[in-house]
Amino acid sequence: MEEGNVIAEAGLAALLDAHRAELLRFLVARSGDPGEAEDLLQELWLKASLTRAGPVANGRAYLFRMANNLVLDRARERQRAMRRDREWLERDEAVPPAVETLADPAPAADAGLIEAEEADMLHQAIMSLPHGARRALVLYRFEGLGQAEIARVMQISRSGVEKHLAVAMRHLRQKLADCGFFASAPSQPREPAGGHGPHGKTPP
Amino acid sequence: MTGVDDTILAEAAAWHLTSARDDMDWDGFTAWLEADPEHRAAYGEIAAVAAALERHRDRLAPLVVEPATAGRARRTWPFWAGSAVAAALAGVLVVPQWLAGQPETFSTGRGQQTIALADGSSVVLAPHSRLTISGRHRDALALAGGAYFEIRHDPHRSLTIRANELEIGDIGTRFEVQATDRAVRVEVSEGRVEVRGDALGGPVQLAAGHRILFDPAHGLARVSFVAAKDVGEWREGRLTYDAAPLALVASDLARYAGVGVSVPPSLAGRRFSGTLSIKDGNSAVRDLSQLMGLELSYDAGAYRLSDPG
Repeated sequence: MEEGNVIAEAGLAALLDAHRAELLRFLVARSGDPGEAEDLLQELWLKASLTRAGPVANGRAYLFRMANNLVLDRARERQRAMRRDREWLERDEAVPPAVETLADPAPAADAGLIEAEEADMLHQAIMSLPHGARRALVLYRFEGLGQAEIARVMQISRSGVEKHLAVAMRHLRQKLADCGFFASAPSQPREPAGGHGPHGKTPP
Repeated sequence: MTGVDDTILAEAAAWHLTSARDDMDWDGFTAWLEADPEHRAAYGEIAAVAAALERHRDRLAPLVVEPATAGRARRTWPFWAGSAVAAALAGVLVVPQWLAGQPETFSTGRGQQTIALADGSSVVLAPHSRLTISGRHRDALALAGGAYFEIRHDPHRSLTIRANELEIGDIGTRFEVQATDRAVRVEVSEGRVEVRGDALGGPVQLAAGHRILFDPAHGLARVSFVAAKDVGEWREGRLTYDAAPLALVASDLARYAGVGVSVPPSLAGRRFSGTLSIKDGNSAVRDLSQLMGLELSYDAGAYRLSDPG
């Protein structure tokens, strides 16, 4: 157990202050954008002060996890917005949607369709996984087994489980990339436009 | 290809796997991210894939989970094998439609169990819990124990869930229910539900991010906030509390972590806030006692918490 294991009432924000520098450094590294990192730290502080967490086992790790999730949520929001924009472009609409339309919390039909497509894409990708990787992934992500339990069920070593899970994630990432899942993500243009089809070589 | 190095992706996947654990090396992770912008991109994509899996978990589970019987394909099990056999499997159960009318009961032992309903809805039944499905339209559910529901909204159907003295209805959403003799808790992560009961003044509309905690002994109900991501998190081996009575934490530990811990009446109302990892029941109890500054003793197969001095 490390420092900051037991936090007094309303102490999460105070703990954040104590670890502000490292959290900011992490947020910069994780988001790749110092401005956004500052912004996220602010959001984290707000969350931490609202959480009113009493004792949290290892509060510092808790804060890092919260920070990590904030970056993920932010990326997801951005991905959604960009996908929406792209769909407008694809529909060849000259006029962008009105602000009210964008702010509508329930563009239900569209969102439902996107969700269904995404689920379908994932389903295909999971089914195309190598057997061991698929089994480990399903046990871990869908049946809630811990890595030790998976090792026992599959009769392989702990590191074997980790390898299977890593292969599964790499493979899924590749499949999703091929389907354009990340196309709207704000990453650097580090791949040549076009070129790789859905039948590209996948990691073993 | 995509230009992303497989080695980097493997490292990203490994970091991502560890990030869920309490012993994650966040400094090491920061340093790894700083070492190369490709690291950040790779991790971001792996995390996005994991988040997508999580988002679609309940929808995908019935499609990808196989019964845990070695080498046996799911389809070789006859649909009508019956709940006794089916309940013994660790995989997903499909409720046969033609049993409509007869109540069917699903119960769990030490593990959790996903039950797929005919309309595409699904229920993850917590360990040591029981769910009964009855009614001509299979829309009357009764729960003892815990369950996480993902119910497809259908305006033509009025699904209800009986939980102790309360009834949950008007559902189109994801939510969790805990029903024991001593307490009922409903937590909504998405959409909303209506909670009804004689003991409540009137129906309570519970929207995403809210929970209701009901104490049947005193007829008291309290609505408070809950982080949507914390709802049903026992499925991932965690329990998060915000000012929860210790008695409730203890009953959760018995159910989810399979560890018995007795709480003297004088401590039953003491509040706990925080997150417990329940992958290992024994260490969960130790964490709880340490975090609350309580004394922990072990006697005759059960833990006991008490006030020091």
